[in-house]
Amino acid sequence: MSARDRILGKLRQTRKPFSDVQPICERRHMIPRHDLSRREQLQLFADEAEAVGCFVYQLEQNEAFEQIMELIGEDRSVLSWEQGEIPFEGLQGMLGSLGVTVAEENDGEVRVGITGVNAALAATGSLILESGGGRYRNTSLLPDVHIALLRADQITPDLETWQQTQKDAGYPAFTEASNTTVITGPSKTADIAHQLVKGAHGPREVHVMILE
Amino acid sequence: MTQDVQSNNFIALADVALRNEDLQHAIGEGTRTAYYRRLDTMFANSDEHGEFMRQQAAEAKRRALRELPELLETAERNLQKNGYKVEWAEDAAQANQLVLDIARRHQVRTITKSKSMLTEELGTNHAMENAGLHVVETDLGEYIIQLAGETPSHIVGPVMHKTKAEIRDVFVRELGMAPTDNAEKMVAFARRMLREDFLSADMGISGGNFLIAETGSIGLVMNEGNGRMCTSLPRVHVALIGIEKIVDTVEDYITLTQVLPSSSTGQKMTVYTNILNGPSHAGEEDGPEHAYVILVDNGRSDIYATKYAEVLSCIRCGACQNACPVYRTMGGHAYGWVYGGPIGAVLTPLFVGLENATPLPHASSLCGSCKQVCPVDIDLPRMLLDLRWDLVREGESKAGWDAAMKMWAIGMTSPRRFALGGKAARAGQAIMGDYMPGVLGNWSKHRDFPDFAPKPFRQLWRERAPSHKPGTS
Repeated sequence: MSARDRILGKLRQTRKPFSDVQPICERRHMIPRHDLSRREQLQLFADEAEAVGCFVYQLEQNEAFEQIMELIGEDRSVLSWEQGEIPFEGLQGMLGSLGVTVAEENDGEVRVGITGVNAALAATGSLILESGGGRYRNTSLLPDVHIALLRADQITPDLETWQQTQKDAGYPAFTEASNTTVITGPSKTADIAHQLVKGAHGPREVHVMILE
Repeated sequence: MTQDVQSNNFIALADVALRNEDLQHAIGEGTRTAYYRRLDTMFANSDEHGEFMRQQAAEAKRRALRELPELLETAERNLQKNGYKVEWAEDAAQANQLVLDIARRHQVRTITKSKSMLTEELGTNHAMENAGLHVVETDLGEYIIQLAGETPSHIVGPVMHKTKAEIRDVFVRELGMAPTDNAEKMVAFARRMLREDFLSADMGISGGNFLIAETGSIGLVMNEGNGRMCTSLPRVHVALIGIEKIVDTVEDYITLTQVLPSSSTGQKMTVYTNILNGPSHAGEEDGPEHAYVILVDNGRSDIYATKYAEVLSCIRCGACQNACPVYRTMGGHAYGWVYGGPIGAVLTPLFVGLENATPLPHASSLCGSCKQVCPVDIDLPRMLLDLRWDLVREGESKAGWDAAMKMWAIGMTSPRRFALGGKAARAGQAIMGDYMPGVLGNWSKHRDFPDFAPKPFRQLWRERAPSHKPGTS
């Protein structure tokens, strides 16, 4: 008999525990939802993302480009998702014309990484990124500075709502992508004497640019 | 068991902790901070809502445990659909052997590891090192613990018991860091050291905070990002997951993955809430080529069949440690095995045998805080009492204890003897002060003995309510 069969056999031998536990009839969201206008929801997202240490901008495409170039500074290369996966048409061409190239996705020396997002969560100021072709995991992980570009209509109330929307649309959460990551602020640690330090292993800065 | 069990030395180990002022200060501050952050986040909306979410989380875990064998089979099927190879291990030896076999199959030499309490139970690091493999813990706290040759003191903050100066000394001594007292510089130093390990490792080992049966996904929570690196950069990923980590649906997972950090560090979400669905897909440039899940029993199926099954609901948030007056004064090492605090006082006897951890069920004042803060409402005080009952039944009760209880019974069964006892105690304290003879000295060694009231309650009652007659209110 295999270890598997012995473990399952043992679990089946005993009477099922917790047969008296009542099911929860009305399930709630972790953070109660309020009916917000699009404008208010965007503001809530910006407030929550800033509260966890992100830099949040609402800007037009040309302003965004200036901001991105300021963050890139003197660097000659960046990490980036494929152009088609970022809601900023022609960004890589514009960078290229200024001599900034896109490095190999696993280059651990590059300082800035640029991604799009699948969705953003207002209640927690989070970004949801699903991996896939041209949507590298490393871009939001290895660099010191992560720039996430999104459209305002990608902001959804919370994780529960996102999950329901995905299900209703026939793309249930956590089924297609090999990795889904929900990012809430810059990488951090408080392991040394309870002092909060940003940039433990992942990005020290997260810049969220909401394009108009 | 791979980590030596020292739990029967609880009193001596507690004594060591109680003499270490740095440790007491560090643990006191760490647990207090986390305790209040939890309150702020769990009850940010209302007490009623926070309590409701606690019960919603508790129900999700209980329901999953009720259907445990069925859900494990569902999870196995869906994990395999996602491209995972699924293995099963009954105990530590089997689990570690499976990891070693995988390492050999893929010619692995170096391993990066993210934080996992299960691998502490299994002694996975030792097993890998004994086989000549190089293993690096990558959670900053665990990295420091590994360098210092210690074990974690707290489930969430393994290095909570150390001061900044002690951590500096570990980095200077073990890695030749230029001395600094700046925490940011220490973190930057560790980041540089570990970045090289991440980029060169052949295999990553992780635990799993949750295993979603419905989708065959592994849920991990972390703040540093090391767990993302361990599961993305090396070509092989192995997840060691306890069989009790299963949840039924994605909805259940979404409740639990938010209740966990809210209870643990007071964050609404951890910085990275990472969901893994197998190896890298065709057309993806990064992510592991090979992915394994090892489902580990290691004593869990034994607990499942007992009145302690509820303890398998634990999601390892550390809230009970932060709330426990015993843990808060001495940290986790005194408990003598992997888990400290109230959860450790229950889990340790169940995992290593009650006879190897006889003091632990008594390492609690039964104040009830641990149950109150538990995100899945585990009745830890009830289990501590049941374990004490088990101890008595197994004949662990001492003759001296029985004699003392008999004396107490004699005193309590007659009002006259009770009053006499009170007089004797007040007179005794007037003569002896804080000095306590014999075994009572153990109690007063680290505590001020509270003064007896100059007038007993019965006398105050007579003086304040002269007209009151029993039975006339």
